Amino acid sequence: MITTVRSAGVALWRTGLARNTWTLGVWLLLSVLLIWYATLIPVFGQFQVTSISKNSLPLVYLAIGQAIIVIAGGIDLSLGALLLLTNALAARLMDDQPFAMVLFIAIVLIAGLGILNALVGYVISVSRVPDIVVTLATGYIWSGFALWILPSPGGGTAPEFRWLFTGAQSGIGGTYVMPILMMAVPAILVFLLSRHTRIGLSIYAIGSDSVASRLAGLDVRRAKISSYAIGGAMAALAGLATVALTGTGDPRFSVGANATLNSVAAVVLGGVALVGGTGLVLGVVAAGVILIMLNPILSAMGIDPNNAQIIQGLLIAGVMMVGGLVTLLRERSA
Amino acid sequence: MNQSPLPTQANAAAAAPAGLAARAAALVAERPTLALTGILALLVLITGLVEPNYLSVSGARNTLLQAAPLGILAGAQTILMLTGGIDLSVTMIATGSAYVAANQSAEGAVIAIVLGIVVGLVVGSANGVGVSVFRVNPLIMTLAMSGILLGLFTAWAQTILQGSTQMGPFIKLIGGGSFLGNRIPYSVVVWALIAGGLIWLLRRTGWGRLLYAIGDNEIAVRLAGVRVWQVRITAYIAAGVLGSIGGILLGGRTGAVDLQLANAFLLPSVAAAVIGGTSIFGGVGGYAGTILGALILSVLNSMLTFLNVGQAIQQVVYGAIVLALAWGYAGLTRRA
Repeated sequence: MITTVRSAGVALWRTGLARNTWTLGVWLLLSVLLIWYATLIPVFGQFQVTSISKNSLPLVYLAIGQAIIVIAGGIDLSLGALLLLTNALAARLMDDQPFAMVLFIAIVLIAGLGILNALVGYVISVSRVPDIVVTLATGYIWSGFALWILPSPGGGTAPEFRWLFTGAQSGIGGTYVMPILMMAVPAILVFLLSRHTRIGLSIYAIGSDSVASRLAGLDVRRAKISSYAIGGAMAALAGLATVALTGTGDPRFSVGANATLNSVAAVVLGGVALVGGTGLVLGVVAAGVILIMLNPILSAMGIDPNNAQIIQGLLIAGVMMVGGLVTLLRERSA
Repeated sequence: MNQSPLPTQANAAAAAPAGLAARAAALVAERPTLALTGILALLVLITGLVEPNYLSVSGARNTLLQAAPLGILAGAQTILMLTGGIDLSVTMIATGSAYVAANQSAEGAVIAIVLGIVVGLVVGSANGVGVSVFRVNPLIMTLAMSGILLGLFTAWAQTILQGSTQMGPFIKLIGGGSFLGNRIPYSVVVWALIAGGLIWLLRRTGWGRLLYAIGDNEIAVRLAGVRVWQVRITAYIAAGVLGSIGGILLGGRTGAVDLQLANAFLLPSVAAAVIGGTSIFGGVGGYAGTILGALILSVLNSMLTFLNVGQAIQQVVYGAIVLALAWGYAGLTRRA
């Protein structure tokens, strides 16, 4: 009996490993990069860890939100614009306010943007216009609003709020406890939500096969709208992290567009296929950190930042090509 | 279609008074280009109300000058969207080609244009190989390519592509000049030639039909014995070349090039194809609709510029109208 239990346990581990190879691989890649970075520079310590973790926050949040939407079979090209909108609103409203008020504004913004993007999810599901088209259009709308609220870079936030995300009231230096905590807590919450709740599992189900899910009695529309709500809330968190990191608001369109594209890149690198229904949020977290970490690593190697952009692109394309090749070979051998 | 299995008397009675409207809706659903033409005419009229001078030869010329590069870039998106793909690097291809063409302007127009188009050929081939052989998702492949190109050209701008960022006189003429007493822009002639070629290719050639077929059902096409990967690669190469041509025209219009040249055209190039009725999932659409889409977006742009409402409101209105058009289009074609 013990042997059967043990073999069952081993089998469970094996399927677990096989299913989550990509997620584990991304975390392994992150660890290798971290160790390599540590050997590259003369002093590796608190400062570097803090800097990497806090600078990754906006992209990681955005990528988590994008991951949930992609898992549900959609894609949201307006997440960067939602980041801009939150960034502009927060910098405008939080300027010279006490910490309690700032926290209240932050919570309202997270809830508000969640509802706003849920509305977008509703429009997509009612209109049956493809996700990519609707969010392309709403992206213009949100970034227009951002520019209207904050016509030029400016505004500010409370020092305590900066401490919350960066570990230092000035946003410079500080300890890595807060940034890592702020990264881990939302990531784990969304991960648990996606894997262990009814709504999370239905998000996976509709992304995998929305017709089958509907026939099985799932409320496809509700799952879709929920995924967009989570995406909107995470984009708001990313906008708040940006305010905390920079201390100001910046409504430039290109900032949002780049953030959106990076979030899609992080999602795919993190093992969430764009066809939906697969992948884990946790892999996306590691992929987001990797994308941010490449810059300091390459500059530590003495490579100029323009080449860093080339290498980042090559890395994304290369990893995806290897992934494609692996599936191709697997199909051939099967 | 699965809502009322039996047509009842009440249904028929309700349908009778709305006969005319229903017939109009059916006509529009059958020929969505009619609806798009109507929207275009409406937008032109509204713009004319905002700025009476717009309803003139020079107003039309300005809109067409704007629409030509956009229409050509949207043509690249149309070809790829028909196969179920997309090209997010098309604006970087355009910028890169214009940069190369400006840099080589001293060598004469022909060499400058050819070298510019080589950029599109090379990048398009790379995209095609990545998407069709290595099966990378087109969104990701072209996104990564866009980053690579931006990095490469930023680095090259200080090294091998150092020097002129001014277009040669011939390209300036083609991109921004007009003939027949300053009425018809040369770039529109280029666009018309490309449009004719594209429509012919898509409607009348085997290659065009294969693009639709792949977008509709790739597995069936493969089982029918088509080498799908080869068709895909040629589609990406064609898109790359179109990107180059659009970029060179755009560079000719502005006169000088920089690395931001075509940036703002990425989302409109997709939007023009989508408004024109090409499905982003592939298999449905065509270039005629895209032409109207590009014209609609250009007129819209002129209108918002004349209204002088500031960039923020412009973006909001632009997004709202794109959404409304896409929504209306989806509603119309679903009923058919």
